[in-house]
Amino acid sequence: MSRSMWRDHDWQLIHTAPQAPLLHMALDQALLDEVAAGRRQPTLRLWEWASSAVVIGRFQSLRNEVDAEAARQHDIEVVRRISGGGAMFIEPGNTITYSIYAPLSMVEGMSFQESYALMDSWVLAALGELGIKAWYQPLNDITSAGGKIAGAAQTRSRGALLHHVTMAYDIDATKMLDVLRIGREKLSDKGTASAAKRVDPLRSQTGLPRATVVERMLATFRRLHGLADDTLRDAELARAEALVKEKFGTSQWVADVP
Amino acid sequence: MHGEYKMPGGKLVVIDLAVRDGRLDGVRLSGDFFLEPDAALPAIDAALNGQRADADDAALAAAILGKLPKDTSMYGISPEAIVTAVRRALAPGETA
Repeated sequence: MSRSMWRDHDWQLIHTAPQAPLLHMALDQALLDEVAAGRRQPTLRLWEWASSAVVIGRFQSLRNEVDAEAARQHDIEVVRRISGGGAMFIEPGNTITYSIYAPLSMVEGMSFQESYALMDSWVLAALGELGIKAWYQPLNDITSAGGKIAGAAQTRSRGALLHHVTMAYDIDATKMLDVLRIGREKLSDKGTASAAKRVDPLRSQTGLPRATVVERMLATFRRLHGLADDTLRDAELARAEALVKEKFGTSQWVADVP
Repeated sequence: MHGEYKMPGGKLVVIDLAVRDGRLDGVRLSGDFFLEPDAALPAIDAALNGQRADADDAALAAAILGKLPKDTSMYGISPEAIVTAVRRALAPGETA
């Protein structure tokens, strides 16, 4: 099998009204399966959040990562996603989150590092057009001179790749540090003692409203790779809702790594 | 007992465990690494359970490798990094 390019595929955009954190988790699995099965064209999904959440990685310890009492006090839901990587602190309007559901043929023979950089090459271009000089910081960060902008994670299924990214648009660092337990060991090779200082959000860097940043990013994707407007199908939504009930909403899944 | 190791150029690898009768017990690996398939995580825990607490690093790494599902892929984690986290859990206060 030879490697396919962005333009070999007919990219679809899903950008819906705000949805609950658990539904976002389930949509990632449902849509990855749809693309893997060939029932859906490769897709870019732009997330809108209906409520606050901490999204922990597939292999993170619930107890070690999250202060459950602080999360409750701030009315923040804790959910677990299907990809590895670290915890994300989400408040509606404060992040730009997207998922790319791509055929595995696009990353054929590539190292993980190369596949992360490939999937976000359009984002670096978009940030450049917004006046931000950003680059990929292996393993899975997008960063600029001011600090980290975004974190990416991937997981693969039989025929498709999920690459999803959360970018910081704005951040309540005090609340984040209240809820997330960020240990010293984690920061040991990051060159700074303050977790809050590690993030440099897009709001301060661009001076633009979030919706404008999103619009510009989508325009860049459309120009570079092609992008047709699509919607979530009823069957896809139904499958995701079933997955919330059977899997993502169960304590068995959320506390799978206690 | 709890040990953490930030693999240089990799991710955070965390081990929680107990020691019973000189052997590792209740081993739990966690962290912000990337690992596929999902079944590799319980396989690693199971590989470490029952190993002698005084086993050398090579023996523990070999035990992990022996139990990994076929086609396991690791990104930001390695058997050696897991063993280092085990060492730190066994000897808190020391830096492995």
